[in-house]
Amino acid sequence: MTPPRKQALALTLNGASHEALVEPRTSLLTFLREQCGLTGTKRGCEEGECGACVVLLDGRPVTACLIFALEAQGRHVTTIEGLGTAQHLAPLQQAFLESGAAQCGFCIPGMLLSAHALLEHGGHPDEAAIRRAISGNLCRCTGYDRIVKAIRLAAEMEHGHP
Amino acid sequence: MQNLTYHAPGTVAEAVALMRADPAHSRYLAGGTDLYLALEHRLPDVHTVIDLKQIPELDGIGVGPGTAWRIGALTRMADIEHHPDLRARFPALCAAAAVVGGPPVRNRATLGGNLCNASPAADTATPLLALAATVSVADGDSEHSLPLAELARGPRETTLAPGAIVTAIGLPAPAPRSGNAFARLTRSAMDIALVNAAAAVVLDEDGRAESVTVALGAVGPTVILVSELDAALAGKPLDDEALDEVRAQAEAAARPIDDVRASAGYRAEMAGVLAARAVRDAAAMALGETR
Repeated sequence: MTPPRKQALALTLNGASHEALVEPRTSLLTFLREQCGLTGTKRGCEEGECGACVVLLDGRPVTACLIFALEAQGRHVTTIEGLGTAQHLAPLQQAFLESGAAQCGFCIPGMLLSAHALLEHGGHPDEAAIRRAISGNLCRCTGYDRIVKAIRLAAEMEHGHP
Repeated sequence: MQNLTYHAPGTVAEAVALMRADPAHSRYLAGGTDLYLALEHRLPDVHTVIDLKQIPELDGIGVGPGTAWRIGALTRMADIEHHPDLRARFPALCAAAAVVGGPPVRNRATLGGNLCNASPAADTATPLLALAATVSVADGDSEHSLPLAELARGPRETTLAPGAIVTAIGLPAPAPRSGNAFARLTRSAMDIALVNAAAAVVLDEDGRAESVTVALGAVGPTVILVSELDAALAGKPLDDEALDEVRAQAEAAARPIDDVRASAGYRAEMAGVLAARAVRDAAAMALGETR
């Protein structure tokens, strides 16, 4: 069998221009983890159900496991590595830390990116809006309560008290 | 899914030409939330993917020609779910779009993809059928329109000619004193529908039924319409007695199968229950306009 023909991909990845040659069948998830070394994006169910692989595509949460990397051509992709660094946590990450919102942590990158997209709109989403926004991100540890509290705390940190 | 070739043409004509080059081994790609897994698990012979997302005219929501609403086939579920004009006019469709997968899936999944995937449980097909939707189809040479009822032939099978592309979905502007609603039953929030139902009603000036249209999903090889409701209900108020009639007729119209999610008998009974709920909610919306 002949090796797959690679195709050129150019995108903006965590704010920086990025070019690569990818096998067309490569998912965005595999591209990010194995070609870019961005392993913060987790491989979970690989069926679009669990949300562990959520990244932002042009600012909107999507499951990277159901997208060909080539579909990101010319688009902006944000992974958890683009949200903050260990030295400079994003307010949302700081709020998760302070609220004890992470246990095993596997769902947290996707959870943070879904929450980030929600808070990008500004204001103070109520609990129902927060729960709706993370309803595509499954967590098997926390029971969600501390995650919801953390997202409310982050909204206060970013936009002041309601 | 070996040796895939990925194309992203910028026009419908280019897309059709690519498809016609090798239709047996090619698939159009919309949001990909169904196709991606299908390519991995049950379409081993497909080696060409033609992404339609770079064709600008396939996306967007607007009015026209005339008073009909036009929703581009590549419009994403999240954009339908949150669209204020659609929510005011076609809440049945917005409610259905709002339960397709979770939010990350709804940011990818498209209306045209949901219809062309031709699942009998496609959530948006049920309200669109009740709302008398049409689909615009382009084959590269010409464009024509057909009733949505003529699009699906059976599970995962459409009547589209090889190469044809659904470009848009058309919805007639709602009549005065009309309402529509959607109802759905699942085992869990992320699962596909066990049964879904949608109703579109038009009332006369006295608040009595002028027309009652009910569509049911996941109870037959395609989404189906419950026939003869108009004859039974025209001129009557949509009260409890009328809702009993809806329930009986919907249950009788259902032709479900037994599967891992539910028995045929349970599905048929729930089809009746959901149909009655949808008609009740649609009537409330229609009455709201007359008050």
